[in-house]
Amino acid sequence: MARMKFLVDAERCIECNGCVTACKNENEVPWGVNRRKVVTINDGVVGAEKSLSVACMHCSDAPCMAVCPVDCFYRTDDGVVLHDKDLCIGCGYCFYACPFGAPQFPQAGAFGLRGKMDKCTFCAGGPEADRSDAEFKKYGRNRLAEGKLPACAEMCSTKALLGGDGDVIADIYRERVARRGVKGAEAWGWGTAYGPPPKGAAPAAAPAGGKS
Amino acid sequence: MRTLSRMTGWLVLALAFALPAGAQQQPAADPDPIKTQQRRAIEQPGNNAPVWRNVQSGQPNYASIPGREAGVLIQPQARFPGQDAIATAGEAWRKFRNGPVTVYGGWLIVVVCAIIAGIYFVQGPIKVHEQPTGRLLPRFSVAERWAHWVMGISFCVLGATGLIMLFGKHVLLPVFGYTLFAWLSSLAKNLHNFVAPLFVVSLVVFILMYLKDNLPEKGDGAWLATSWRMFTGGKQPASGRFNGGEKVWYWVGVVAMCLVVSASGLVLLFPNFEQLRTTMQQMHIIHVVSAVLVTGFALAHIYMGTIGVEGAYGNMRDGVTDEAWAKEHHANWYQDVKSGKEAAKSGAAPQTQH
Repeated sequence: MARMKFLVDAERCIECNGCVTACKNENEVPWGVNRRKVVTINDGVVGAEKSLSVACMHCSDAPCMAVCPVDCFYRTDDGVVLHDKDLCIGCGYCFYACPFGAPQFPQAGAFGLRGKMDKCTFCAGGPEADRSDAEFKKYGRNRLAEGKLPACAEMCSTKALLGGDGDVIADIYRERVARRGVKGAEAWGWGTAYGPPPKGAAPAAAPAGGKS
Repeated sequence: MRTLSRMTGWLVLALAFALPAGAQQQPAADPDPIKTQQRRAIEQPGNNAPVWRNVQSGQPNYASIPGREAGVLIQPQARFPGQDAIATAGEAWRKFRNGPVTVYGGWLIVVVCAIIAGIYFVQGPIKVHEQPTGRLLPRFSVAERWAHWVMGISFCVLGATGLIMLFGKHVLLPVFGYTLFAWLSSLAKNLHNFVAPLFVVSLVVFILMYLKDNLPEKGDGAWLATSWRMFTGGKQPASGRFNGGEKVWYWVGVVAMCLVVSASGLVLLFPNFEQLRTTMQQMHIIHVVSAVLVTGFALAHIYMGTIGVEGAYGNMRDGVTDEAWAKEHHANWYQDVKSGKEAAKSGAAPQTQH
């Protein structure tokens, strides 16, 4: 089974926010919530500016899942972390725990009362029947069920944002890094979400040929 | 009781001071990460390690998306008390909440309940040695009783709903199943949020109203030292309107711990004042630790005020107490009332004469 992952190439991201717009449009995200955002480090500094698009990283050991008091999170066979809005009580603990600020809450009343949590679903919907109206209303489009990849990554004009089977996008990234002549094929920044590789796992096979 | 309350008091204090100091430890910072990155881009193009180190520090960067901390790519690093390694703040918070807080907090509640059950079933409730006289003394005014019960009932609602949110996943969820437990938790969260302000207001009123009679007196130490005898059928030393144990509960449990719980809870209750995740994580830990401690403390108080001490519950319900009870439990106060030194509490039921 594929392990779905996101990867952002800081050498390619041009901070166009196309991924953010694509996500909002595709999933009809609640007002005030942005499932994806683009963060620019050293904004405006020549030679040091890097932009990254970030949403839910669908962590292997997801902190949101661990702290949820009603256990509303689940992981699909593809490694996508989803949640059940019918169970969510809007306590905000996932929002405290997430390193990336992915879980967000539409305001449900006065005094900052939180509604049901909303976050990136890797365009994989929720627990309702695939591609049903109920699923779309609560979680947005289930593109994986349609045989497509997340709208943000598909929309990315520079292909800085890659989303899909971790092995495949790692190959693509490795190819890019090799072409750029950088030593080592390490995808910087994965450590927080995915941790070290499982013990004894063989390194992914070298790419078959030029596919970048 | 005395050592326990002292220990808990110190724990809350220690935690309150240790947290802000220990929670924000950053890795050694590069004095000028921008310069380093610019140099790196020339020496080793494609190696952005200085940028990633900068990201790890949790500092806000630019994001065109509105929202609090939208520009923070990864939460800053933190370490809660007793943790070996520094981690992302959310991860440190998660480990502390799911680890020591849940485990030790859960056992504390279980142990307190077991001790209470042991005392009740082995020693039995504390009885009044003399026969009731039928002559009633006014003990709590209507205002005092309202203050007590509004605070007490709201405390019980907050305690029960809080326990559901902290331990329900481990205790109730396997029994109830997801749908029913989520419904219960949703109810618990909303009750917790909406009853909390009532508790805070009644707490302040209660503290002011009961302050005068809870000021330390000469006999308090002696009472605390020898009052254990009442559990084995003996007599307790004379005390004023409130005894040493009640004063410890008032100062440590109600004043110190409940004020800490209330203040930290208010920070969590109104997340619309631009407070950041780090603040809310720290406040949450202070809130939940002091709440579990004060719940354990309150269980002891509720036991002593209901089935643990014969006649105690009726005093707070009706506001009057029998002279025999007063002589047994608060001999000095009894003397003061009889001699007219202590004014009768206004609004209490009139003294019955026979």
